[in-house]
Amino acid sequence: MVTEKEHSLRSSIHVAPLSINKDRSRGASSASRHRRNTSSRSSSQTGTESTSGQSQMTPPATPNGSQEDLSQQIELAQPVFHNFLRAFYPFHPTYAVSDTTVTLPLNEGDVVLVHSVHTNGWADGTLLISGARGWLPTNYCEAYDPESMRNLLKALLNFWDLLRSGVISDSEVFGNQEFMRGIIAGVRYLLEKSNCLTRESHLIQSNEGLRRNRKALLSDLSALVKTAKRLQEYTSSVPPSHADSDEINNTIDEMILKAFKIVTRGVRFLDVLDDDLRTRQQQPIHRLMATVAEEAYNPPTPPADSTSFDGAQHGDPAYDAASRRSSSRSSGSGLSGSQRLDEQTKRQSYKRMETKHPSASSSRPLSSRPSSVHIKRQSISHRLSATIPAAQRQNLVSERLNSSHDTFLSHLGSFIGRLHLQSQSSADLISTVRQSVTAGQDLLKVVEVICAHDNQSAEVLDAARNAMYDRINQLVIAAREIITLSGIEDEDVVMPQQNGRLLMAATSCVKAAGECVAKTKFVIERIGDFEFEPQNEGLGIDIASIGAVTEEESKPSADIIEDSPPEPASRPPPPPLIIPSYEKPLPQVPLASPTPEDNFARLSPTALEPVAENATAEQQMMDSKQEARKSLLPPLPKMTSPLMTQEDYSPSEHSSAHDSEFQASFRSGSIAISNSGTSSTYLSGMRDSEQSMLSQTSTRATTPDISVYVPRTQPSISELSMTGSQSTLADDADDGESKMLEKTYAHELMHNKEGQITGGTLPALVERLTTHDSTPDSIFVSTFYLTFRLFVTPTELAKALVDRFDYVGESPHIAGPVRLRVYNVFKGWLESHWRDLSDHDALSIIQPFATEKLGRVLPGAGKRLLELSQKVSSTDGPLVPRLVSSMGKTSTSIAQYIPADTPLPPTGLSKSQMGALKNWKMGGSNPTILEFDPLELARQLTIKEMTIFCSIMPEELLGSEWTKRSGSNAVNVRAMSTLSTDLSNLVADTILQYDDAKKRAVIIKHWIKIAHKCLELNNYDSLMAIICSLNSSTIIRLKRTWDMVSQKRKDMLKGLQAIVEPDKNYAVLRRRLHDHVPPCLPFVGMYLTDLTFVDAGNAATRQLPGLGDSDGMSVINFDKHTRTAKIIGELQRFQIPYRLAEIAEMQEWLQAQIVRVKSSSENENVQQYYRKSLLLEPRENMHPRPSPINDPTGFSSTQKDKFDIFAWTHSRDRGNNVPATPI
Amino acid sequence: MSARTSQRRDYHIVVLGAGGVGKSCLTAQFVQNVWIESYDPTIEDSYRKQIEVDGRQCMLEILDTAGTEQFTAMRELYMKTGQGFLLVFSITSQSSLSELSELREQIIRIKDDENVPIVIVGNKSDLEEHRVVTRSRAFAVSQSWGNAPYYETSARRRANVDEVFIDLCRQIIRKDNSSAPSYEEELVYGGRERKPHRHHRRRKKKKEGGGCVLL
Repeated sequence: MVTEKEHSLRSSIHVAPLSINKDRSRGASSASRHRRNTSSRSSSQTGTESTSGQSQMTPPATPNGSQEDLSQQIELAQPVFHNFLRAFYPFHPTYAVSDTTVTLPLNEGDVVLVHSVHTNGWADGTLLISGARGWLPTNYCEAYDPESMRNLLKALLNFWDLLRSGVISDSEVFGNQEFMRGIIAGVRYLLEKSNCLTRESHLIQSNEGLRRNRKALLSDLSALVKTAKRLQEYTSSVPPSHADSDEINNTIDEMILKAFKIVTRGVRFLDVLDDDLRTRQQQPIHRLMATVAEEAYNPPTPPADSTSFDGAQHGDPAYDAASRRSSSRSSGSGLSGSQRLDEQTKRQSYKRMETKHPSASSSRPLSSRPSSVHIKRQSISHRLSATIPAAQRQNLVSERLNSSHDTFLSHLGSFIGRLHLQSQSSADLISTVRQSVTAGQDLLKVVEVICAHDNQSAEVLDAARNAMYDRINQLVIAAREIITLSGIEDEDVVMPQQNGRLLMAATSCVKAAGECVAKTKFVIERIGDFEFEPQNEGLGIDIASIGAVTEEESKPSADIIEDSPPEPASRPPPPPLIIPSYEKPLPQVPLASPTPEDNFARLSPTALEPVAENATAEQQMMDSKQEARKSLLPPLPKMTSPLMTQEDYSPSEHSSAHDSEFQASFRSGSIAISNSGTSSTYLSGMRDSEQSMLSQTSTRATTPDISVYVPRTQPSISELSMTGSQSTLADDADDGESKMLEKTYAHELMHNKEGQITGGTLPALVERLTTHDSTPDSIFVSTFYLTFRLFVTPTELAKALVDRFDYVGESPHIAGPVRLRVYNVFKGWLESHWRDLSDHDALSIIQPFATEKLGRVLPGAGKRLLELSQKVSSTDGPLVPRLVSSMGKTSTSIAQYIPADTPLPPTGLSKSQMGALKNWKMGGSNPTILEFDPLELARQLTIKEMTIFCSIMPEELLGSEWTKRSGSNAVNVRAMSTLSTDLSNLVADTILQYDDAKKRAVIIKHWIKIAHKCLELNNYDSLMAIICSLNSSTIIRLKRTWDMVSQKRKDMLKGLQAIVEPDKNYAVLRRRLHDHVPPCLPFVGMYLTDLTFVDAGNAATRQLPGLGDSDGMSVINFDKHTRTAKIIGELQRFQIPYRLAEIAEMQEWLQAQIVRVKSSSENENVQQYYRKSLLLEPRENMHPRPSPINDPTGFSSTQKDKFDIFAWTHSRDRGNNVPATPI
Repeated sequence: MSARTSQRRDYHIVVLGAGGVGKSCLTAQFVQNVWIESYDPTIEDSYRKQIEVDGRQCMLEILDTAGTEQFTAMRELYMKTGQGFLLVFSITSQSSLSELSELREQIIRIKDDENVPIVIVGNKSDLEEHRVVTRSRAFAVSQSWGNAPYYETSARRRANVDEVFIDLCRQIIRKDNSSAPSYEEELVYGGRERKPHRHHRRRKKKKEGGGCVLL
């Protein structure tokens, strides 16, 4: 598994040693803190850095003290947490940095990956262009999230989290190229969105700058892919223990830098594209850019009932900046404007806020916007990231939300549980309601804090929170009324009939809480996580009143008095909902030219004043708190270099300066939807592929004619993929550009923490089945083959495979291996997994595909597929028999358990025994089981059962096939259960055949011995059958007989019984079967129950994590099928025959015995044996059953039971209430 | 709260019924934490659930052998450990109800106790349009079985699921309390000692409408 070292967060290259360390428990050691741009990740450094944590973040000191009025400073609110920021002004700290902090110099256009944002406006970020990490002023930056870059940026986050987290071991991550997929898909998305996917596109052809940037982007991507391949080879070739961790770490660092570079290139590419569009002065070429342009010139006016996006948009300083930019751009006076702006800044910064505000409200939209900012931001916002270990998340609001939700649910759960009781005391009811409501209040408080943190979120959450609040209130009201209404005479006051309302109220609480929490989580994702600081405000739910009512209106028990509050309230007042007020002014159309005040307002947001409406008492308190903290939290730096700004920030240069530094261009996305925390797609998509079924089928000699039709020259899959990757390596980047950009459905796939696929759409699953660069996971492949009919029709599957074959054509470099894999999936299906009954329809897709599409590309394969498709209909059973146990452990290892040359154990049958059998066959007397050795009987039983067990097909175990009442195809499973039951009957029959208790005892002893031998043979199925019979009511009641069984045998039986005990979900049996070495015959029933419950307990679909507001897309719950396949695999693991010699005569005799005891009706048998048992040893203790007097139904069994030992045969009559007549 | 809460007791509940009546769904719905996405029935705790009944913490260990209905010889082994039994049929299948009486007889035989806690469950109440077992028929069965409570449930909609388990658990607790002095006595006298209590309860239940909870 993962070693501790791997668990520790990877220290990064170029990480400026911030004094933030997420691990608060470690002490501070500032020694390493000042090191930056450390390019190696030696282990010693890793250690130092990880211990350099300090519990406080220390952003840089304010560079200037005199320019601003500190008393007016309030912090900059940033309602939306942006994962990426882009500098629109250069920032070159000229002052000496303190020992403990590192500030990042920024150039205009630099893009920064943000890790957290401090309350004072400094952000901890990593500069993409250099990989340096440090503090940077957020007011120099704008949010960066253009639509077409979104996927790439998201992929970079995942990439970063994955490579830096160290949660998954290196070999798992780098064992294949899965982790590269996101970046590649992101680049593809960017190019697709900008209509530049192919070199031939009109845009690329017409713009040299674009062409060059695109080329650079792709060559960087190619470089990253190469590095990743190198790493894969490296990690796979060297045993992990010997792998030079420095070497690997250096490579990882290199890859992170390369990924940064790719994004940087992407940013530049988009800039150039924007410029191109602008210079053309024509209709935007594609829709996306049209949107951008529109927004740039006409910032939208959010409607009153705007969604979170709109809400997020305004009040966002980054948005302000962007809009300002666009307005200055549109005015064409950006240069002078910016100059003026900075002068203005200096001038204005000495002024008081009041001078600014009146003007802000008039025609300058942007300056008015900060007034909407709710200033409750108190601490640091973190990016929701998988890299923060759970232990360190404790104080984060997301964690608080989860824990309070859990508490609420558990209280509600126990409350609902109580409601199911037939009656309960009002005191108990009150206390559980109170607990639930208190927990609900706690949850609401957390939501309040989040609302308070960001007033835009309040709007989003408002409805959900109010709904939850209402539900809780309804619960309180319902509880009160029920207590009030019920006359309290004794303890049992609340009858289940009255619980209906409570139940409904409680259930809707659960539902409302779920919705509210889901919405809140979404908000946290958007605004970033932050430290929890509870507000001490009451929520106005008067829980006390429930108890009070009781006290007032009834004479409650002592309990209730105890619980009741001192002052009774007759009725709770309408609950005041405390929602932080928020103001959301509509942004106005920006003026053509920014005014100084406008700029001032934007650039010095720290000097803003709280808006009066928002200044509640509580807020004022917080303000004062913040003032008190001022000395700790330095204000943001002021713009210090107006001249430089002026030079760099020159929109008029845009059209010409393709190759200069990044162009400042407007980005549409001030709305950042950060989803990085929820999507585990790339993080966990790694899994070591074992030898796959695919390669097994392709390399295995199948039928003789395959060598005829499949040319020898055709490379195997593994060869192909190898040459494929070699050619990629060899390819010149220019030529290989399109190779990077394959179409993919990878984003529609879900993984669990172990990297197993848990869900996905059909195209995504099919894509996974036919990846070009790695052999698919064998478990995945076999699960797919086995279970696909449960989630897709064969025709749909065939179509999806053909689609895959088609769309991979867009990516010629991988088309070869992928198409061959598509062929192999078809081939494997037809050869080994075909079920003509259900699959026949798919032939109408497969055959044309084989002759046309496949035949054109791979003639041999097409011909072979066509042949197979013609054969399957006529042949019964698989053309190529599946390997036994293809699902679980590889079958190859089985040979070692039973080498073929092992001599069969000698049979334990003497001549006389054989003679007895032969005599019986000739019509002589029937030998009893006593005449045979328990071992030999156990062996022959085992052989008999194993033969059936080995013939169980996996299909029989799917979809509860074996439980079908008629027409079940699960013949072998049914045969298993029948044999089991027959064996049990045989045991009972042999025991009950003797009138002499002593003889019966001997038979019992013999069966105990046989059962013991079965255990020695690991035949748990027969063991189960024998134990069941010995423990049946028929046999166990034979007290006189059991008295004659020695204690030793009884103890032996007890031991055997403990093994097959169904208690604790067959804990003992499961433990024994776990890692059991074949040959072994497990108890089949256990698997059948497991399969039934996997089916009953897991839904058919699951949701992809939603993007934005919307629910995620519903995908196939592959996890369910993996579980099913796993259980079937466990069973198949044991489908290996024993090396035991079969004695034909004995088999025949056994069969005859079983046939003898077989009865047409199962129940008849049981009754028959029980009757016999009663005859042999009549009831000793005829204790009377309930008398008619006490039985209000008037039904009496007492008398009948006394005289009629056959009373039990009247069960049905009794059920019908028909008087029973003794036989 | 009272002192009773402190002690937690384990109770063994056995779920029985013909195949296809949806008893596995019923059990899965009950034991499964609805907030967990993936259910693994192969671990020891798969069928354990703690609930609170009358202020007591009860750990229910549920034995549901769904899928092995055809292993008829196994039934009594399953029944042996049970203290209370859920007899599940589908309101859409007449035969699934009649099969219950066999099961009940078998239970009474193996437990040697006519008053073993039983709850009758008519599942699939969401399929009202396919109902073939009338409520009165089910009530008649309930009455003939010593007024064993009858519930109609919908595992699919999670209706009355917890109710049936809690009712059964409550019956077990009552039986436990009344027979507390001596378990042996209980065996010997087949629960005769409890009769007055039971009688009392039945009377009360009649007032409540037969103790049957319907949707």
